[in-house]
Amino acid sequence: MDILAFLVDGLLIGFVYGIAAMGLTLIWGVMNVINLSHGAIIALGMFGIYLLFSLFGVNPYIGVVLVALAGLITGMLIYAIAIHRVIDAPHLSTLLATFAVNMIIIGLGTSAFSTSPRNVDVALGSIEMGPVAFPATRAVAAVASVLVTGALYYFLYRTTLGKYIRAVTDNRAAAELMGIPSARILALSFGLGTMLAAIAGGLIATFFPFTILSGATYELKSFVICVLGGVGNPVGALVGGLILGSLEGVIPAFMPTSWVPVLEFILFVVILLVRPTGLLGRKK
Amino acid sequence: MPILEVRDVESGYADVQILWGASLFLEEGRITSLVGGNGVGKTTLLRTVMGLVKPQAGKVFFNGQDVSKVSAHKKAEMGLILVPEGRQLFVQMSVEENLEMGAAPARAKARYDYNLERVYEIFPRLKERRDQKASTLSGGEQQMLAVARGLMADPIVLMIDELSLGLAPVLVLGLFQSLQKLKDEGLTLLLVEQNVQMALAVSDYGFVLAHGKVDLHGPSRELSGDEHVREAYLGI
Repeated sequence: MDILAFLVDGLLIGFVYGIAAMGLTLIWGVMNVINLSHGAIIALGMFGIYLLFSLFGVNPYIGVVLVALAGLITGMLIYAIAIHRVIDAPHLSTLLATFAVNMIIIGLGTSAFSTSPRNVDVALGSIEMGPVAFPATRAVAAVASVLVTGALYYFLYRTTLGKYIRAVTDNRAAAELMGIPSARILALSFGLGTMLAAIAGGLIATFFPFTILSGATYELKSFVICVLGGVGNPVGALVGGLILGSLEGVIPAFMPTSWVPVLEFILFVVILLVRPTGLLGRKK
Repeated sequence: MPILEVRDVESGYADVQILWGASLFLEEGRITSLVGGNGVGKTTLLRTVMGLVKPQAGKVFFNGQDVSKVSAHKKAEMGLILVPEGRQLFVQMSVEENLEMGAAPARAKARYDYNLERVYEIFPRLKERRDQKASTLSGGEQQMLAVARGLMADPIVLMIDELSLGLAPVLVLGLFQSLQKLKDEGLTLLLVEQNVQMALAVSDYGFVLAHGKVDLHGPSRELSGDEHVREAYLGI
């Protein structure tokens, strides 16, 4: 097969990885919390569109919009219930709190859906561009990811509420002194982070089979991408996603697919050693 | 009735108590100064008034209402604004975005255009640099921006922690003159200063804080004539 085809395939998936990582990096950037429930939320996003589709016949792309809304609300609830009380505690507390949320979601999910694989059957055929052909679902997912990134930037830089998030990120005490309700802004930010995770999950489900445990893989990828792009940097997350996606596309052309994670994590360690702030990260 | 009253407040951090029954009051439309040496608890008093530090004992009244347990952003919403020590700007945001963030209270949003114009009139330098990141401003400009951001909140009471710190005397004088003008428009001000001489020169009434308590208070002119104050703080 043509290497170009592999590359395009990987890049398209890379966009989706990018928004998954963006969710992780947003939460870290705003409140210094490493969200270990990220993968579980991605899995919920997958099951969200699966259930809407199989039970109510909702079109998976409309399903993604509904899942996004549900992700936003779920995230704000998780923040209010599990995170806010430990937000000023040492990192171990927030790690454990989000890990507990992760275990609860995975446990409930396993008992409800078992761990057998599901898939959402979206038949859009394939798109041919010159020598390259790729599934249309991946192209739609890539376009959707770009739109989501644009919307996130518009929100953060052009709306008052988005600017409040940046102000709280910059200096939470000062924001509070200026009349910005920082606790509510943190909840909203956590909600946005989980919304991005849920959208990524929903989009991935349109072209890959999944189980309730699938989120863990994408959570790990998100960590690699965050380190690639620089933690706390949404555009870096997208670029990191594209790098990771293209690696995943191209590596199988040269060696067995099982080598993909090995190489990914070697890259992860090398970047941590050589450029701990990430390829696009700010130097401190 | 004073617009802001702090009554017998005890507060501090973790195991260290810093304030031991501090009391002060602000009369409306007047510039009040709170002076004292380094480490006597001036900043802790301000942080306690705003609710960033919870008082262990004592009460804070704003506009006749007990606000001891009200959170900082709600106090800002009520018109009680602190310009914190060390400026605490949103350094990654532009000058104008900083000013926009200052106008978070609903009462301030309604007067945004008017206040923005007024603030740019007082600090024309900020207007020239409106699109620059706050982190790229000079020290003096950052202090202007911190005060300007506070003014954007349309405060009833504006408290400024160490306005003069690290600034050239000419700049400080200019800032104080601007504050005098705002006072004439009806703003109530609390200046918290280590620079005792300057603070007493521009304020109407003064409080001297020592060892976590208010040592003495009175009209600023009397305080600067007081032998104890002259000896302890003015070095005369």
